Amino acid sequence: MTAVILPGTGRVLTGLAARQVRWGALVVTAVAAGMSALVVTTYRTDAIDPAALAANPAIRTLFGEPVALDDPGGFTVWRTGTVLAVLIGVWAMLAATRITRGEEDAGRWGALLAGRMTLARTVGQHLTVLAAAPVLTGAAVAGAMIAAGAGAMGAFLHGAGLAVAGCFFVAVGGLAAQLFPSRAAANGAATAVLLIGLLARMVGDGVAALSWLRWLSPFGLLALTRPYDTNRGLPVAVLTVAGALMFAAAVRLAARRDVGGAILAPSTSRPPRLALLGSVPAFAVRRTLRPLAGWSLGVGAYFLLIGLVASSMIGFLSDNPQFARLAAQAGFPELGTVEGYTATLFALLAVPAGAFVAVRLASVAADEADRRLTLLLAAPLTRTRLLAAEAGAAAGGAVVLITIAGLATWAGTAGVGARLAAGAALAGAYNVLPIVLLCLGTAILALGWAPRAVAAVGVLPAAGGFLWQVTAVSVGAPAWVVGLSPFAHLAAVPTVAPDWPASAVMTAVAAGCAALGAIGYHRRDLRT
Amino acid sequence: MTVAAVRTEKLSKRYGPLCALDDLDLSVAAGEVFGFLGPNGAGKSTTIRLLLGLAGPTSGRAWIFDTDAADVAAAHRLLAYVPADVALWPRMTGAEILELLGRVGPGIDTAYRGELVERFALDLAKPAGTYSTGNRQKVALVAAFATRAPLLVLDEPTSGLDPLMEREFRRAVAEARDNGQTVFLSSHQLAEVEAVCDRVAILRAGRLVDVASVAQLRRLHRTEVSATFTGTPPDLTATPGVDGLEADGPAALRFTLDGSPAAALRALADADVASVAVREPSLEEIFLAYYGEPPR
Repeated sequence: MTAVILPGTGRVLTGLAARQVRWGALVVTAVAAGMSALVVTTYRTDAIDPAALAANPAIRTLFGEPVALDDPGGFTVWRTGTVLAVLIGVWAMLAATRITRGEEDAGRWGALLAGRMTLARTVGQHLTVLAAAPVLTGAAVAGAMIAAGAGAMGAFLHGAGLAVAGCFFVAVGGLAAQLFPSRAAANGAATAVLLIGLLARMVGDGVAALSWLRWLSPFGLLALTRPYDTNRGLPVAVLTVAGALMFAAAVRLAARRDVGGAILAPSTSRPPRLALLGSVPAFAVRRTLRPLAGWSLGVGAYFLLIGLVASSMIGFLSDNPQFARLAAQAGFPELGTVEGYTATLFALLAVPAGAFVAVRLASVAADEADRRLTLLLAAPLTRTRLLAAEAGAAAGGAVVLITIAGLATWAGTAGVGARLAAGAALAGAYNVLPIVLLCLGTAILALGWAPRAVAAVGVLPAAGGFLWQVTAVSVGAPAWVVGLSPFAHLAAVPTVAPDWPASAVMTAVAAGCAALGAIGYHRRDLRT
Repeated sequence: MTVAAVRTEKLSKRYGPLCALDDLDLSVAAGEVFGFLGPNGAGKSTTIRLLLGLAGPTSGRAWIFDTDAADVAAAHRLLAYVPADVALWPRMTGAEILELLGRVGPGIDTAYRGELVERFALDLAKPAGTYSTGNRQKVALVAAFATRAPLLVLDEPTSGLDPLMEREFRRAVAEARDNGQTVFLSSHQLAEVEAVCDRVAILRAGRLVDVASVAQLRRLHRTEVSATFTGTPPDLTATPGVDGLEADGPAALRFTLDGSPAAALRALADADVASVAVREPSLEEIFLAYYGEPPR
């Protein structure tokens, strides 16, 4: 009997896991393959001096080691590789914790595991199904690049690298989900692994003496494969082994814990911490503090690094005008002064800050779906007030995050004597606030009318807008197409004054979205 | 006339083609302990969600002490709620959750809360992620009873509790009643409803079937009578109210009684009756009778 039933239950699990990830997988695959093909087809053999680029530590730190830029495939890997690896990695890791720890937290695995299925097998099968997604994405990227005219060998290696990196982050998410007792904590730990990996790659690329660090980072290993150059397979093999070990560890740990429990579960008693429990706004702040600390650490470290490489970067650009021109074409104009350089990189700040507010609002939607908000909403309290408290805490957190990024950049530039005024750094950082407000507005809109899609809709103005602008500028799209991205309306502060009318329009659109969303949230039934 | 604690008028809720609740007219008097019965999917939880404003009615209205249920900021000053499936923030300890709910809620009797924590044997120092279903339910129960709110809305509050805790729950309901509070109790535990409720509403497929006191419900239903006789049993076939007459051996009878027992008792008294046993139906039998299943 068992032999008859087990394959059936396996299929059920596979179907269950696949249903939860298929749309996300398709979107990520479409974006990754589309971007790669676009950059290959629009590649123009401009005068680039790869040697000069490769010699500059700042270029290597920020954009990765420039390799084979004279080849459309090589240029595409350099231009899109890290962005796509981060995109695939973040999605894979968040999906892994969502379909394992998230489902378990919500109590939806109780019935599943009451049957023949063991926890270890359920976790293993979910992660295996999810791992098919990055493999699909990698194959699609390689196929798209070859179809667009890039060389097959490099495309294959690049696609394989992206696939393996995605699988690695599936395993990281799966492992974190076994170690930590909640989805939020697991996400935090997995994100920390991703950010440390990214920083290790940046430092390893920038500082010759520390180049071995790249062997310890998934992003560094991808860089070491050097597609369209030496085409090394060993780093991909190392990353594959690391991912497989993580996967095995996740399954082993799942076998060693109880359903609903965690390896690092704080089962011990502790004295109550009663601060910030007195009101709904205070409670919103309380729940924002811990994630904010993690985001601040990551964003702060990144912008400190940006500041530290400022002098080297500016010096390189004034010596190499052809690269400055190329960078301007790619959406990074005026990199030749410290103000221009920081203004350009501050635009990037909108992405993490916007993602932060979107994720905070998504956690409100998750609290609702998992019924944690029910007890609060049975208190004398309107939903509008609850929403205002949560949105206020998220916006306040974003301001803190942006301030930290501005100060970190200033500290970095001050450390290398690049003479950037603290006020100018903060002005540049605060300049992205309208885009962050757009993210908050669209996230609230989604919370009111499409509560399942809060995170996706909320990051759209920032992450989607950034990718849109980079792609549109790269392919020389008409101005109105570029103008659909909010980033097209961001003035290069502190080089020039803020574009107040554009900021006002973005803020007004954000307020309109938020108002519409608040109406929907007030009127609709709770999801429970 | 005093204001009803809960009142609904043609309250309906549709989810697409599905009618979860159909024209519910209900009135719960202040100070009563009101049982709300029905099989799964009858619309009990939907009713409670509408009363709490967690969902909006398709048509009709509801009031909590004459405050429109949709005005949650005002209506929720008058009530406390225990959901059927309590979910808590996993990293917060029981003490932190009680503090939050006490500060945000309609008011708190801290001394009584301390007493309830003792009585429900709740370990407040542990994070909620380590709590069992029953412990999560206890946190919500302690938080609700400690508010001393005029209305307590309890949705299957004891499904995860052991018998000792169930007893504490009944004690707390009795204290609430003595205190003049109204209790709206949705439950599957018929013995519990029978023990604590003054009146009971029975819901089936989104419609109200009956509202009555437990005693009235019994009266509406047949009482089982068995009698033994020293001589020949009397002929009760023509006696009003007697039904299902059966001989239980040569000197014993069994029948069910509908309506007033006077005529049957008179007939029994006239015969040489040796013993009479009258068994009232349990709420479970009444409940099952409403849903068309034969009583055991």
